[in-house]
This record gives sequence, C-alpha cells and structure tokens, in this order.
Amino acid sequence: MDRRPNLGVKILQYGILIIAALVALYPVWFALLASGREAGRLYSFNLLSTFIPTEWTWENYRVMLFDKPFLDWMRNSLFVAGFTTVGCLVIATSAAFAFSRFRFRGRQTALILLLAIQAFPGVLSIVPQAQILGAIGLYANHWGLIIAYTSFTLVFCTWNLKGYFDTIPIDLEEAALIDGAGPVQSFFLIALPLARPALAVTALFAFMTAWGEFALASVLIPAPDTRKTLMVGMYQLANEVNIPWGYFAAGAVMVIIPVLLVFLYLQRYLESGLTLGGVKG
Amino acid sequence: MATWSGRRKALTILLFIAPTLIAIFMFSVYPIIFNAYISFTNRNLYHPNPDCTETLTSIFEPTCWPMFRERAPTGMSTPFTIRDPAYQNYVDILGKLFTKDALFALLLIVACALPLIAARYLNRLFGRQLSRPVPSWLVWFVGLIGALVLGWLIGFPQALDTLMKTGDFFVVTFRTVLYVAICIPLFFVTGLLLALVLNSPHLRGRTFFRVIMIVPWAASTVAIMMSLVWQFFFREQGTLNQVLSIFGIKGPAWLNSPTWAFAIIVLVNVWYTYPFFMTVILGALQSIPPEQYEAAEVDGATWWTKLLHITLPLLRPAVLPAVVLSSITTFQMFGTVWAITQGRPSRGAGVPGATELVMVYGYKQVFQTNAYGRMGAYAVIIFVLLFFATLYSLRMTRITKGAYE
Repeated sequence: MDRRPNLGVKILQYGILIIAALVALYPVWFALLASGREAGRLYSFNLLSTFIPTEWTWENYRVMLFDKPFLDWMRNSLFVAGFTTVGCLVIATSAAFAFSRFRFRGRQTALILLLAIQAFPGVLSIVPQAQILGAIGLYANHWGLIIAYTSFTLVFCTWNLKGYFDTIPIDLEEAALIDGAGPVQSFFLIALPLARPALAVTALFAFMTAWGEFALASVLIPAPDTRKTLMVGMYQLANEVNIPWGYFAAGAVMVIIPVLLVFLYLQRYLESGLTLGGVKG
Repeated sequence: MATWSGRRKALTILLFIAPTLIAIFMFSVYPIIFNAYISFTNRNLYHPNPDCTETLTSIFEPTCWPMFRERAPTGMSTPFTIRDPAYQNYVDILGKLFTKDALFALLLIVACALPLIAARYLNRLFGRQLSRPVPSWLVWFVGLIGALVLGWLIGFPQALDTLMKTGDFFVVTFRTVLYVAICIPLFFVTGLLLALVLNSPHLRGRTFFRVIMIVPWAASTVAIMMSLVWQFFFREQGTLNQVLSIFGIKGPAWLNSPTWAFAIIVLVNVWYTYPFFMTVILGALQSIPPEQYEAAEVDGATWWTKLLHITLPLLRPAVLPAVVLSSITTFQMFGTVWAITQGRPSRGAGVPGATELVMVYGYKQVFQTNAYGRMGAYAVIIFVLLFFATLYSLRMTRITKGAYE
C-alpha cells in the first residue's frame, strides 16, 4: 500500500509545513533583525526591514556587552545554573537508584508524594523560602538561589533518572553482587556509567530550569544590578523607560542562540530521554 | 538482591535517599507547613514581624529558632498574631462562595454539564455492543445541544454572574480553568496536524522541518525573555500595528483589550508548547503498526475514518500524560503572562485584571499589597485543589504505572 500521494495533497502538506516553519522561526528572526538596527531607528519603519535585514550595526551588541552589566548577569546565571545542575545530579541520582532498585516500605507513597508536592504553587512559596534562606543568612546570595533551585528541580531529576534506571537490566548488578560487590559499588561502577544519556538530559533540564527562572530570582536577589541573574536583568531592561529596544533584542539574541544550539544538538535525546523518561514511570 | 537484609539494608537505603528527602523536606515541605501556619495569622504590611515569645510562632518561624535568633526582624510595628477566628483568612477568600445564592448558582452550573455526562455514559454503553445503534458523534452532538438548551433554560449567564460577584477567588480560578481549557485542545490539534504531516510517507526534508519546529521549545526555556519579544510585537506601536498601518489599517491597542490580551497569551503559550505535543504524537504515530491501516483500507476506510478509529484511539496512552502534565503547568503559568501583560488590562481598582491567572494574582497580591496571611490561605486552597487534581489524574492516566507494583 505504498501509493504516492497526489499533487494536491503534496501542496497542502508543504503549505502547512512552510507556514508552521515560518511561524516557529519568525519571533527569533524578528529579535535578530531588531538587534542589528540602529537604536533610534526602531520606530522609523519600513515594511521590508521587518522581514529581511536592510541594515546592520553592531552598536547594540557593543552597548550590551560593555556598557550594560550583561556579562555580569550572564556570569551569575551560569554560576547559579551550573551549581544547580551539579547539586541536582549529585543528590538525585542516588535516590533515583534506590527507588528503582530497592523494595522497601513507603516506596510507592514517597514517589507519589514527591509528585504531589510539586502541586504547591511555586510562585506562592517564594515568601516562606525567602524567610528560611534569610534565617540561615543566604538571602540576597547566589548560594541561596542555588539551594532553592536544587530542591525545586530534585523531583523531576529523581523521577526522570528512576525511569531510566528501570530500563537498565538488573542482570549486570546481580552478577556484580555475586562477585562480592555491595550495592554502593554496583551503583557507582555499573549503574552510573550506563545511565550516562539520562544524566545528560536530566542535567540539561536542571540547567535550563535554573537558567530561565524568573520569579524566585527576582525576589531572592533584589539588588545590586550586577548580582542579578540574566532573566531578571533582561526583564528589568525591557521595562525601563527610554531604553532603546534594540539593546534588549541584542541581549535576547545572545541568550537564545546558545540555547538553540544546545537544543538542536540534543534533539534526538529529547525525544527518547526527556519526554518518555519524564512521563513514563 | 536477596543477599543482604535487615538493618544493613535499611541503612543503605537511607544513605541513598536521605539527601533528597532532607533537601525536599527543608525547601519544599517545610515552606508548605510554614505557609499553612502563616495562613492563620494577620501577617501583612502593618504586622510583618514575628513575635518570638509566642509558642507557635517560635516553632514555625525560622528566624525565631535559637540558632538564627539574632537575624529575627524587629521593627516598630506590632507583630503578627493568629486571627480571631483562626480561619478568618479562609473566610475572607471563600466566604461569599458559601452563601445560599452562590451555592445554588454553582449547582445550576454543574447541572448544565449533565447532558454531557449522560452522553459519555451512553457512548460507553453503546461501545460495548456489537452494532452501535447511533454513531458516537451524534450522541455527543445531542449531548452538547442538550447542555446548551439546559444552560439557556436555567439561566447560565446569570448563575455565572452571581458567582463572579463572590470575589476574586472565583473570578481568577474560573479564568485560569478557562485558559487551560482553551490552551490544551489547541496544543493537541496543532501538534497532531504537524505530526500527521511529518509522518506522511514520501515527504522530503522531514528532518529539516522537525529541527525547525523545535525552535519554540528551545525558546520556551527562556520564556520570560522570549515573551518580551512577543510583547513588543503586539504593543500599540509594535510591529504588528506598523505592518497593518502600511495597508491603511489602524490596529487596536491589542494588549489593552481584555479579549485580545487573553487571546495573545493563549497564542504565545501554544507557540511554546506545540513542539512538545508534536514530538510526543510523532513518537506514538511511528509505533502504530502499518498493518492496521492496510486492513482498514481493504475494508474501504477513508482517511477520516482511519484517523478517527485507528490513529486517535492508539494515540491516547501517549498523549494523556502529556495532557495532564501540560494542564498542570498551564494552570501554574506565570512567566509568560507576567512578561506580556502583568495581568493587565485593568478592570477597575481592586479587581483582578483581565489576564490575571491564579499565579499572577498571587504574585501581585504578595508583592504589591504584602497580604502574606491572606495569600498564605490562598496558596493552601490552590494547593489542595491541585493536589487532588494531580492525584486523580495520576491514577486516571497511570503515568506512575510501574511505581505501584
């Protein structure tokens, strides 16, 4: 039954795909165009320049990189997201292994409760979290933000990694047990190396969550400007009066392009690792 | 792993899961408990500080614990105390919902859904029979008509209006549920359409198009920033209106119109989420055995009947978890809405704006009016609603299958 579709169907298919591709790309393309336009020229408008580059200047990029604390924000975000990723992986992997391999009382309940706790509205737990961090002296401190993000991403990391450990056959570890290895050795020497793809996707997720988070960061790091994270800084920049929007666009492009590249590179993992691992038990 | 047991086993398991449990208890569970305590107090802008001599406060308030005592905030204002009665914050939020009129209106609205429930029941009943007396779409259609007629007969708009007057809580929750109910079908339909096209045989450039469609997903990880780009697009002086003005059309101030602003936050959310649905559906489509379609074609099935009777039922197990997960995240949507509208346009002083969803409302109340006590109660109510919704949907879709065995 391998008939070739007729011409009408083909045109329809490509029509849908091309429109969808344009819609998917245009907002990013639009930001790219705006980032290359002279700062004052944004509102002096011609139709052509909303779709193709008619002029190009690096001025906005220069301002963002050297006159604005953009690089500070970038460094702060990298610092916070990087340590969140490390913390999340270090803490969650062992728990995921235990949930996948050991049978103990309260295991199901704990797994379900982990998910249900996530139902607490994140935005509304900012105040209690800020108070706890204030009590231990980590308010307005990047380490406080890292701790908050880590606990926030732990649930997903645990579940995703547990899902992957479930798919690894237990035979190898049993063989190791017979050879005299304890559960700790079999975890470090056998399960962990096998779980590398899942670790990569989980790390990406943890990093991206910390990288893109806004509400918590805006409360926990209120000042000064140079201590803020990227999302908070950019949000503030976009809402300032009398700031040419081209500056913001240049910053946005510099943030989005690396994210895009990482996603394109990891696309095949996204399909197997993130969606199914995160969704299936 | 039967070679070890008893105390050593318990100790090993504890060693493995303790770090996660401790972290989650300290920064996820404890905030919930603390928040629940605050919800019974009058903590707000005028009573921000704890009174550490009070027993309950000294237990729950971290800055009152002996080791952190020196960091306890103090000030001229009187410290917060437990309200009288303790549940007064809950009464402030929900009170008007429990009057006779409001409950009656709620009952009427639930009654409007009866024909749809009946249609679902009938369809299940017919589904078990060998030859269906009536097709399922007809049952649904009649059910829908029944619901509309019933709604018109018992005055659905008036009932809704009564409920809307019971305060911010119903307004905001209703609007958020509406938002989810609009977004989820759009995610599914857009994702399904693109997945079907991309899955068709003899398509050139499939990989190319798939890679391009991932772009919004990548952009959604920095949602707050990408949403600012969208906001610029729709501003009164924004790009859309500039393009329109070339054709001599004076575009409206999109973000100042309640309907348009709502439509725009739906649109942007769909833009972020359809790649996820597309990927999930595409994966499920590829696992459908082609023999099923071939058998159907022998029986003379058209494209439409194949879609309805083979594809959609087989997609169900893969799509349901995606629907549940994105319903929860859409209900809790904050960054996108905050960046685009901040809950505006305003509908008057002291009334939530036209796009104030649950989280935006909470954020605004906490950080603009500093009503910590009342918003604590609000958070508890939302948490209870979402907690049971999550448990129910986990059971229903068996996402956690495998965790139960």
